[in-house]
Amino acid sequence: MLPDTTVVKTVLTGVARAEVTATSLGVVVRVPHEDTAAVLSALKSSDLGFVMLVDLLGTDTDEDVELTYHLRSFARDEELYVKCSLPHDGVLHSVWNVYASALLPERETAELFGLTLAGHPNPARLLTTDGEQPLLRRSVPIRTLKEVRDR
Amino acid sequence: MSQVLAPILPVLAAIGLMLANGVVLIYMLRKVLGHLHLRLGPVHVGPKGIVQTTADVLKLLSKEDIRPNGVDRWMYVLAPVVVFVPSLMAYAALPFSETLRITRLDTGLLYTFAVLSVVPLGVIMAGWSSANKYALIGALRAAAQQVAYEVPLLLSVLPVVMIVGSMDLAEIVAFQTGVWLGVVPRWFVVLLIPSFVIFMIAALCELNQTPFDMSEAESELVSGFATEYSSMKFGLIFLSEFSNSFVISALAVTLFFGGWTLPFVPDSVLAPIAPVVFVLKTYIGIFVFMWIRGTLPRVRIDHLMNLGWKWLIPISLAWLMLVGVVVKLVAPGGVA
Amino acid sequence: MTDPRDTVLTHALQAEGTFDPGRAPAGIKRIPSGVDGLATEHLVVNIGPQHPSTHGVLRLVAELDGEEVMNVEVAVGYLHRGIEKLGEHRRYHQLGTLMDRGDYVSGIHGELAAALAAEQLLEVEVPPRGQWLRSLMSEVNRIASHLVWFGTFGLDCGAMGQFLYAMREREALLDVLESVTGQRMMFNYVRPGGVLDDITPDAEQKLRTFLRTIDSYLDEHHALLGGNEIFQKRVRGVGVIDRETGLAFGLTGANLRGSGVPYDVRRDKPYAAYTELDFDVPLGATGDAWDRYLVRMEEMRQAARMCRQCIEGLPEGDVMAKVPRVLRPPAGETYACVESPRGELGVHLVADGSDTPYRFHYRAPSLFAMQVLEEILPGHLLADAIMLIGSVDIVLGEIDR
Repeated sequence: MLPDTTVVKTVLTGVARAEVTATSLGVVVRVPHEDTAAVLSALKSSDLGFVMLVDLLGTDTDEDVELTYHLRSFARDEELYVKCSLPHDGVLHSVWNVYASALLPERETAELFGLTLAGHPNPARLLTTDGEQPLLRRSVPIRTLKEVRDR
Repeated sequence: MSQVLAPILPVLAAIGLMLANGVVLIYMLRKVLGHLHLRLGPVHVGPKGIVQTTADVLKLLSKEDIRPNGVDRWMYVLAPVVVFVPSLMAYAALPFSETLRITRLDTGLLYTFAVLSVVPLGVIMAGWSSANKYALIGALRAAAQQVAYEVPLLLSVLPVVMIVGSMDLAEIVAFQTGVWLGVVPRWFVVLLIPSFVIFMIAALCELNQTPFDMSEAESELVSGFATEYSSMKFGLIFLSEFSNSFVISALAVTLFFGGWTLPFVPDSVLAPIAPVVFVLKTYIGIFVFMWIRGTLPRVRIDHLMNLGWKWLIPISLAWLMLVGVVVKLVAPGGVA
Repeated sequence: MTDPRDTVLTHALQAEGTFDPGRAPAGIKRIPSGVDGLATEHLVVNIGPQHPSTHGVLRLVAELDGEEVMNVEVAVGYLHRGIEKLGEHRRYHQLGTLMDRGDYVSGIHGELAAALAAEQLLEVEVPPRGQWLRSLMSEVNRIASHLVWFGTFGLDCGAMGQFLYAMREREALLDVLESVTGQRMMFNYVRPGGVLDDITPDAEQKLRTFLRTIDSYLDEHHALLGGNEIFQKRVRGVGVIDRETGLAFGLTGANLRGSGVPYDVRRDKPYAAYTELDFDVPLGATGDAWDRYLVRMEEMRQAARMCRQCIEGLPEGDVMAKVPRVLRPPAGETYACVESPRGELGVHLVADGSDTPYRFHYRAPSLFAMQVLEEILPGHLLADAIMLIGSVDIVLGEIDR
């Protein structure tokens, strides 16, 4: 179910500069990265009741890294996406104080996009070993089929 | 026969028996667990897989003896011996028949328990010296477990001793010959059911068998105290485990199921087959242990301690007192 | 016995307030260390990556005070194959193949999520028979997957027999899946637009035979393991994940339902043929390991019930919609989720109009189930810690991706 964009806007008035739009994905709230924690916390504690962070992912848009926080409200059966952008060498501010479920996905995202993790209790790498390239950046190539065959 | 050879022969026989037993029991365990678990167990080496264990023993013997860095060298080497030797010694007092036994001891029961209680010491040594954390936890569990279960194990057999008035295993068996009321065998399992139940629970614990395999607990502690052992050192520990289950089962048979005797069978028929009867009864006991092992989940260590200290020890003490009073009232001068 | 090379623990939740990682659950009394002035230290144990009960290659760095777990940190990544990166270089048809290798115990669900996401972008309508077959195979795979969980859970508790008994039933289901998809593990059966192939008469026959007996078999299993006093003492009241913790840590599926949150993707965001199927969503009350056990056992019964409805109600027609050989969805972004045996398995796709996804993200329910371990394990005994890893049912393939 899609939440009402005006209601979301009302909740976020005074919290942050938020831009609420309905897209093919659903209702997307676009905020500056420094305000993410404040926005998430406002959404969580508001009547909308977005109590669960379903997912957190990054996307490399070539210019920057776009983070998507996927929220869910069980009370109203609604889903909301909060998006923010970070430069490639940016600092990812943890939101684990708001949603504990962000702990591991944040580590994974920071590691695979080459971001620095801040405010996280354990900002170590999660999946890959030290020195590995940030794999999910578009600029990091993978071996082509031909290269694998000729190996 | 020479003076030297005569005492040595029974010892060699005991070693032979223990090894043969080990081989048979390992095969039996695999087959029994296999069929309990809807699989076949070994089938490929030899007909029905009977040579599998022999092949495994050869494999163990030919394997490299690995000694990890950082182990406490002497203790590490000594531990399998400390585990193995007492299980071998425990055969000494077992009466296979009226005449067939290694030695006759007036305190056979006490001796067997005393010797068996050294085994956990070897387990603790193995765990402590291995320089492995799982082994250490396993060893500490073994220590805690032994303290909690040796006591009820011993208390559970005291009623038998009180009634028979002897700790000689042969006399305990002799006491159980014949029948009551023409139908019920004069076995102590009929008379002393609580003792038998406590004995079984404590014995499972003593044997490190599921549901009380705390010190091994393969799903938690990998292989517990034996994690770092390889080759024949591991073989000795493994063998002693099977040998212990034979000894404990043999004790259960001797104390509660009339040892080598059978009710309704005249002595003349029984005499030649007595050892066979004894071993068969023992194997049935071992089968029960294996059955339990294949079915039950593992108890948690604190539940185990609770069971030992809060239930088994008080119950066995109360039962001991009850039996003592009854024995005093029925036969003030002692039964024997 | 501590080794200087051991990792120093930085428990995730210790740094700042809100959660109290050191709290002991009810029933476990904490004895202060260092009684009588003797020096004591905590033992740091690496449970895994090679360990019999870590369900794959999970490493838990556990700090023990005697038998009691004080602190635990999960370390993963041993199975990292870069599925998300690979997905950006594969066509939409090929995503299912990658998803199979994520949650390898229930491949159908992964494929289904990928196919649903692609279909949402393409706006393809799947023919009814395809929808029903998707539901049917999902449920068959769910029972098979839950049986693996059941068996390994028994194994974690020390009951070796359960594992092999569960495998007996699972074998019949794998035969069904093999007959329909040609594979026993990496099915590659659900494709964007429908499913690969129709159900074979042989598979239908086998499934019918299986469904006749499964309920009584489940009763037997439940009586043997769940009815055991030892087992009950080990799981009841242990590893409690309350409602708030479950939601905060993003748990889904049986783990969340065990904590009493009535959320099931099949019912609340229906896909495939679930709108037409009749099923109950079992719920736990307290969120302990026993509740999670009961929820999963009941889910197997419900899945069998749905399988019966699917076989009976299977509509006639095509199993696959007409889709081009090379899919080129218009630019856009979408999220599709299914109820996998481990929880909500989601696929987040960003398309740029080409034949490969621009971004392919796999929401792994096990990842979230695993991070709650860091929160609930402290205060439990080592034996319980092992059991609790089993009780949240994680598959490392999808955690590491």
